[in-house]
Amino acid sequence: MYEISLLTVMSFSVIFALSLNLITGFCGQISLGHAAFYGIGAYSAALFTTGGGSFWLALPIAMAVAGFFGFIVGFASLRVRHDFLAITTMGVGFLFTGFVRQQEFLGGEEGIAGIPDPGIGQIPYMLLCAAFAAAVIAFSLYLKRSWMGHAFDAIATDEDTARTLGIDVARYKLTAFVFGTGLAGLAGALFAHYVKFVEVESFDFIESISVLAMVIVGGIGSIWGVVVAAAVLSVLPLLLQVFADYKLLIYGVLLFTVMYFAPGGVDSLMQTLWRRISGRQRRDKGQ
Amino acid sequence: MNYSDLLVQGLVEGCIYALIAVGLTLVYGLLRILHIAHAGIFTLGAYIGLLLTNETGSFAAAFVITVVVVGFFGMAFYRLFYEPLLDKPPHVALIASIGLFIAMEEIYRMVFGATSLSFLAPPLKDTVTVAGVRLEEGRVVVVVLAVVLIGGLAVLAGRTRIGIAWRATVSDAAMAESFGIDLARVRYVNFFVASAMAAAAGIMVALLLNQVIPTMGGVPAYKALAIIVLGGLGNVRGTLIAALALGVIESFGTIYLDRVLDRDAIAFAFLIAVLMIRPQGLFIRR
Amino acid sequence: MKALLSIEGVTVRFGGVDALADVGFGVPRGALLGLIGPNGAGKTTMMRVITGMVRPQAGRLAIDGTEISRLPTHRRVRMGLGLSQQLVRPFAGMTAVENVALAAGHATTANPLAALVTISRAAERDRARTLLQLVGIADAADALPDKLPLGYLKRLEMARALALDPKVLLLDEPLAGLNSAEAPHLADTIADLNRQGTTVVLIEHNLIEVMRICRHLVVLDNGRKIGDGEPAVVMADPAVRAAYLGSQEERHAAA
Repeated sequence: MYEISLLTVMSFSVIFALSLNLITGFCGQISLGHAAFYGIGAYSAALFTTGGGSFWLALPIAMAVAGFFGFIVGFASLRVRHDFLAITTMGVGFLFTGFVRQQEFLGGEEGIAGIPDPGIGQIPYMLLCAAFAAAVIAFSLYLKRSWMGHAFDAIATDEDTARTLGIDVARYKLTAFVFGTGLAGLAGALFAHYVKFVEVESFDFIESISVLAMVIVGGIGSIWGVVVAAAVLSVLPLLLQVFADYKLLIYGVLLFTVMYFAPGGVDSLMQTLWRRISGRQRRDKGQ
Repeated sequence: MNYSDLLVQGLVEGCIYALIAVGLTLVYGLLRILHIAHAGIFTLGAYIGLLLTNETGSFAAAFVITVVVVGFFGMAFYRLFYEPLLDKPPHVALIASIGLFIAMEEIYRMVFGATSLSFLAPPLKDTVTVAGVRLEEGRVVVVVLAVVLIGGLAVLAGRTRIGIAWRATVSDAAMAESFGIDLARVRYVNFFVASAMAAAAGIMVALLLNQVIPTMGGVPAYKALAIIVLGGLGNVRGTLIAALALGVIESFGTIYLDRVLDRDAIAFAFLIAVLMIRPQGLFIRR
Repeated sequence: MKALLSIEGVTVRFGGVDALADVGFGVPRGALLGLIGPNGAGKTTMMRVITGMVRPQAGRLAIDGTEISRLPTHRRVRMGLGLSQQLVRPFAGMTAVENVALAAGHATTANPLAALVTISRAAERDRARTLLQLVGIADAADALPDKLPLGYLKRLEMARALALDPKVLLLDEPLAGLNSAEAPHLADTIADLNRQGTTVVLIEHNLIEVMRICRHLVVLDNGRKIGDGEPAVVMADPAVRAAYLGSQEERHAAA
């Protein structure tokens, strides 16, 4: 059914967007190559199940493989900051696609087809994805309240000062990368077993930018904002042909206009609106 | 292919990269903006150059008009999109620029169509022999253009009033302003020069491939980003060396690395390897 | 007496200029040491060397006899250095009390795993409020830093350093920007802290307060140490007077 596929797509998009939000939003480390980890998860899960492995085992494997590469890239990120980091992570994305294209065991340009169905039926699969999405939302909310979230916040704001408070910036950044890329791997594995076919184009620079757009539009670091943005932006192309045809134009314009007019994204717009409304009510009562 | 062929092909590629990357590094040096949309301007140059050539029949005239027109377009682009963002945190302009680039590619697709355009009568296609290597004339023109434009830029920066103002602004904008330098004017000139060079590169790439497509800016632009980092962001000389080096490395790499990585990923493999050893790029910004 | 913080032969060169040339001194346990000198003498550079933000070309640093010269900043902080910087750098998105509480949670944030499984901040917030009270800005506890005047931010910076429970508290111009009522008050607070057992290194331009509360002075001039000892003795030294007064006069002449 149509609604089922919408909800499934929505669910792994939310996981994917929140995984980037963890790195870029919580910890302040920009990434322009996040789709690579989505791809690593998708490819490793696809390889595993097409080779006869169990779907349930494929999920943790995808997370572990993506998280492992995330650890390595995170290590690289320790050496560079800001603009250098943006370009380095972009480079990681290109390395991923450039590598996959030349590898026969990954299907090269053709990709991997015939990924087996998880065998649980469409509705349970949708519910599974939604449950994972809910778990990732809960994890994000928890993380933000924990001392780790507190430390991430400090690093995102001013990492040099965080150091003077005894915070081991490197270890926190690595943790953020491992968590974020591992969850992207999970999203990738869920995606691969939904479409049952992976090809390198699904994980290229444009995809990295699309997920970045979800985080930016939702509001960098905002959990609910990103959830809403990911849910809406992921299903709009399925709902509206116009959106599907002009998806990139819309993403491009969205990225620019959000940065230009409301760098805090939907989240800060809603907060401003809320403050106006509640402010007006208070004033009304006062009169 | 023998080594000297590979070397020369690599240097020609490197000159194209240099024409794109020098503009990018100029913008970064002055404004600390990673001008991703530079790639969109490169593609615009390719389209206008091709359409004007087909219309007028004169490649030379089309080239000159395109370079000037796109130069002015770059100035307007700066005024409209970047100037209002200068005071915002750095990631704002970066992300806005990515958005602009993607939107530009889509607009080209809508205006010029998704299929490739080509020259009705592609000029400069004869081959000549230079130092024992047979080369298409277009490739020789690329090298000449790179030498003339970038050499001219060096003279401009070193000898003229605006060049000196430009250098002063790069090293300390507030100080330059206190000496009465008009920052806005320096920035406009900067964008004119950068965009004109990108347009020149765009036309030449269009000519060498004899095709123009909406997404043609992507790959060279991303490589140009890798190059300016390798060159030490904002360092023009470092950027030049990195551009030529990358052209040559890719040219040899397609022979020796083809089984591992495709050509377009070599730049970033090189970049990441270098950044791990020298996080500030190959050349330190002066 | 063995020094709690010992600094030996520190040399820092910036592009051919010696910012610090073979400077060494010891900070005894329990000391309130004033590190003074005219502008550009190298005081802040020395502070940055101690915290590990600047790597010296030569020199050796130790806390409690343990060498720290090769340790990164956060490790030095965990070994007992607390830093209050000259240019205040509060975390903009956090209230004053959150800023201090983050530092007060240093035992938790030292280990990411512990940080991941810990939620409660109540104890740290309480401690933060106590410290804000101590430095006299309890009324601003719930304000965001961009709403606070510089005098408050200076004291916020100090409260944050104190929250690290440092063995040695490094204060870089804590009195700058305070008015003539606030400065002596904060100086008294510093002296109190010192009496309660915190070793303090104080970089300060306000010589009146320095002379009033410090019991030991180290004087830098042009990257060299020109005085080290009891305040009265050091300030009577003609070399110190010349360096200090000379530059004061220049400053007056320039003004």
